[in-house]
Amino acid sequence: MPESTISVPLEIYRYDPKVDSAPRYERITLDLPPHTPVLTALLKVRQDRDPSLTLRYSCRSAICGSCAMQINSKSRLACETPVGPEVERHGRIVIEPMRNQPVLRDLIVDQQPFWTQYERIQPHLIPDPAHPMPEGRENPMTPEQVERFKETPRCIACGACYSACPAVEADPTFPGPMALAKLYRFVVDPRDGRTQDRLVSIQTGGLWLCLRCHLCTEACPKDVRPSERIRDLKEMAIDAQGATEHGSKHAVGFLRNIRETGTLNEFKLVRQTYSPLEMVGQVGQGIRMWRKKPEMMKKPKKVAGWEDVEKIYRALEDSPEDRQ
Amino acid sequence: MKMAYYPGCVAQESGKELDMAVRWVARAIGLELVEFPAFTCCGSAFVDEANQTLNVALNARNLALAEGAGLDLLTICSTCQGMLSLANRRLEEPTMKARIDGVLSPLGIQYRGTTKVRHLLDVLVTDVGAERLRGMVRRPLSGLKVGAFYGCHLLRPQAEVGSESAEEPHAFEDLLSALGASPVFYRGRVMCCGFPIQFVKPETASRIGGRQIVDARNHGAEAMATPCPLCHISLDGFQNQAAKAVGERLDMPVFHLPQLVGLALGATPEELGLDRHLVSVEPALAKVAGSAAPP
Repeated sequence: MPESTISVPLEIYRYDPKVDSAPRYERITLDLPPHTPVLTALLKVRQDRDPSLTLRYSCRSAICGSCAMQINSKSRLACETPVGPEVERHGRIVIEPMRNQPVLRDLIVDQQPFWTQYERIQPHLIPDPAHPMPEGRENPMTPEQVERFKETPRCIACGACYSACPAVEADPTFPGPMALAKLYRFVVDPRDGRTQDRLVSIQTGGLWLCLRCHLCTEACPKDVRPSERIRDLKEMAIDAQGATEHGSKHAVGFLRNIRETGTLNEFKLVRQTYSPLEMVGQVGQGIRMWRKKPEMMKKPKKVAGWEDVEKIYRALEDSPEDRQ
Repeated sequence: MKMAYYPGCVAQESGKELDMAVRWVARAIGLELVEFPAFTCCGSAFVDEANQTLNVALNARNLALAEGAGLDLLTICSTCQGMLSLANRRLEEPTMKARIDGVLSPLGIQYRGTTKVRHLLDVLVTDVGAERLRGMVRRPLSGLKVGAFYGCHLLRPQAEVGSESAEEPHAFEDLLSALGASPVFYRGRVMCCGFPIQFVKPETASRIGGRQIVDARNHGAEAMATPCPLCHISLDGFQNQAAKAVGERLDMPVFHLPQLVGLALGATPEELGLDRHLVSVEPALAKVAGSAAPP
């Protein structure tokens, strides 16, 4: 029995910066079984309609990480995204190159920014000279130690997270989700001797620009969950060095702020984050807001049962040796 | 219907207009808000970054308070919704549960894990329902093109917060349609508002917020609406800075979700605190002024 097909309207981004003044979208409709991967649809276009369509791909099995692109605005691997659900949801499939990296041609981007950030975090084991790797034999880890970074080695460096990240989009100094997830992997590796240095240098190296929007975690085809590992890195960085940056001062300030009453004191939080000089720069905006929202200066009352809140803090915040 | 009302910090302070609108809407739909003066801040994802276990413990206490009263928790903030849901999820892990129990038990607090955490958006769409709401509308928001802006923590991580969809939700747009408005679909509706780094690197934060406003506007939105008071601070309170950061003139009215619901159900702008915004909502109000006004 022949397989049933659906009509798949494709809108494919086409752009050759050497020739074209602007990108255009090529509209082609194919009849395909709904489970057909987007990659297969693109290869069919290239074979039957237009051999000049340019894209990266290799394994077709979600292992090599080559075919990441935007499919209906989401960063995905084309080889594992079936056409059916996309057409069902959007009525068409808009295919564009990954974001946050310059387009070389059609669906191929220059991944240099992504790799530069990756190299910057020194993504390799740096043993402690005081505890060299044992000569001629393995350096074993316990299952519990391996468990701490069981997700990160799954990364195939496809770049989907880097493409999905709004912090990368707005600020090229942000290392991006993949580099930070990799950094986490070496920070928690008991064989690595640079844990402290790595945590100290990432505090000023963009760690606190993560928005914890979790778009990377949703984009990742391998469930590496970068945003959650970045969260862990932030906590470890504070433990290693204390709060040195605006981001860590804000997090620690927040923690101390709600200890006082149980509820946030909005104005005080700004003071806990900024130096007096930096506060001066905020005065104009502060007055604008205060005129409409005078309650921002309100000092909150203690919540009922505040004593319990204080006891929770004493048990968990004042005994850092207890922390994970 | 009766729920434990978790207003969160901002709605009790600078975002007071959100609390005003929620109370008005709750009366209109017959939802009794039970207040708990013992609730603490959810930690707003900042405390989670400084001390995860402490954040779970504080929220376990909040969840236990609602559980003790046999009520589900009503949130009105995407971030509160996310953090309390996340605590529920983390308490499913035996190690974390044992650790938290060890801290809370001596205080006589026990959490069995039964409190459901629900955002007002979900209650409106699921419990009240679009059809019933449509029937209650007295000032249809006819013709007003509104860009919904969800707020990250309402949606992601989907596995942890149990949202309808991480990247393609539609509950908010369904609600807007029921109120007579025309929802605008744009990429930015599920993106970040920039607020988390407003105090880390203001210009980057403003550029991120500005991009979402420009995206909504370029797709035809005449107003935006958000279920998150933190997104509201970013999109409304810092809109002047966002305009500078993206080099565009912006004058986008930004509503809290219950303000638009209240407006459609017949509340006056004063009852909804609409004069407390930094960017005037007058152009949007003018647009719906032709609709039947309340008696």
